[in-house]
Amino acid sequence: MTSRPTVTIIGADGAATKNTHPLPNVFKAPIRPDIVQTVHTGMAKNKRQPYAVSEKAGHQTSAESWGTGRAVARIPRVSGGGTHRAGQAAFGNMCRSGRMFAPTKVWRKWHQKINLGQKRFATASAIAASSNAALLMARGHRVSTVPEVPLVVSSSAFAITKTSGAVALLAGIGAGADVDKVKKSKKLRAGKGKLRGRRHRQRRGPLIVYNPDSDSKDIVRSFRNIAGVETSSVYSLNLLQLAPGGHLGRFIVWTSGAFEALDKIYGSSTDPSALKKDFLLPSPVVKQPDIGKLINSSEIQAVLRPVKGGAITKRGVTQKKNPLVNRQILLRLNPYASQYSKDKLGSTKVDDGKPDKANKKFLGMVQENA
Amino acid sequence: MSAEHIPADLLWQITRNYSALTVKRRPATAGGVQFSRDPLNLTNKHSRKYDGYINPQAIGITPGSNGGVNLLTKKSGKSNKPAGELQTASFGKGTTPRKTYRNIVNATTKRGYRPDLRHEAVARASAIRKSERAPKDTPARKARGVKAKKAAEKA
Repeated sequence: MTSRPTVTIIGADGAATKNTHPLPNVFKAPIRPDIVQTVHTGMAKNKRQPYAVSEKAGHQTSAESWGTGRAVARIPRVSGGGTHRAGQAAFGNMCRSGRMFAPTKVWRKWHQKINLGQKRFATASAIAASSNAALLMARGHRVSTVPEVPLVVSSSAFAITKTSGAVALLAGIGAGADVDKVKKSKKLRAGKGKLRGRRHRQRRGPLIVYNPDSDSKDIVRSFRNIAGVETSSVYSLNLLQLAPGGHLGRFIVWTSGAFEALDKIYGSSTDPSALKKDFLLPSPVVKQPDIGKLINSSEIQAVLRPVKGGAITKRGVTQKKNPLVNRQILLRLNPYASQYSKDKLGSTKVDDGKPDKANKKFLGMVQENA
Repeated sequence: MSAEHIPADLLWQITRNYSALTVKRRPATAGGVQFSRDPLNLTNKHSRKYDGYINPQAIGITPGSNGGVNLLTKKSGKSNKPAGELQTASFGKGTTPRKTYRNIVNATTKRGYRPDLRHEAVARASAIRKSERAPKDTPARKARGVKAKKAAEKA
């Protein structure tokens, strides 16, 4: 590739600054929704806390089966008398106050090990997908006012310490609509989750990616109280934030410092990454995935034989035309038809005179023989 | 200059099963249709041809703010600049419907811009114009039969 595409670095007001930065190689990683989804399902399980029913639940009674011959089922029954509980069935999963079927255990396999290579592939893929406006829209982000994707904002614009400044910055760079969407989307969660610290549901807004080395720590503090807005260090990008729900295309706002660090972190498909051990960026299996471009490329077109028949091409099986109705078809079948109609032979009357009477001499000769 | 280019076919494969713009009410297996909320979709059907956000060229027809219609098209080479991607032309309610259709066709099909969407574009513009017209009052019912005779006698 002769010239690498560049990305404009925009200022706090959304207007382009003079600075640009070549597009980091990680944005050329192949976009693989299948890998992102499988890695996401695994990673989403890794923050779970164990739960189980009590070990004793359903077994805190001294029930014994009555055996056969009492015309009741042989299930263990609570012994004794004097209460309603006596004689009721116990222990079984089908019993009232019995234990559940296969009681849950804390030693369930809660966490998933995911191959590091796959995790890195998925992260690179999710970053690459975040550079496509169509995918951002398909994820539901309101990006129609964003000047450019990937959206790189000058690090100097992030010298803010207050949430009000952060809100103004987001509005300035065209991300205000996405933040508003989150604010409007806040709903009460359906079900028991409300009681378990997950009271509300809301959409996800933009992800601010900063560079902890060059950007100030105030970024995190100034953005953390804006609904839906998340911040992340460029050195520890998380797939759960880059592709929420396993769906590609998170709207990411990069600080210029973070954007510049990407090439150092991810390297390229030929130069290994400086920070990740044994990591080369995945490269696409096909160089040109656009089949239309492939077909129309000069290389393919040069070796194709020219179209046979030129301007006139034989039609395939089409509806048969009726020559009695369609004149052109009639002429093709019967070239004489044009002369026939020109001479108006179809409408000339047959000479309708009666045949000449035979003369008497002739009749006489005929009758003489008889 | 566009950033990393992803072909429309790949975008369609990624987003055809789920997208924020799709509307799935009945599953396709149960004979349901999938609709799209994309403003650049002329038929509102979720399909490779009609979905505007994945196609490099797309036409949108939306109602104008003061009547009439707006014609939206995508500018080429701006796919990574969402704010400047759309070209808008508006044909107000002063423009006759026929002129509106002709202008739409002249701006798109006649320039080789998505000629396959000509019919759909005109149909959508027509539907929008029709919706903007005040509906006619239903004519008063004529008296028939005995009532008509009585009315005639009175008059």
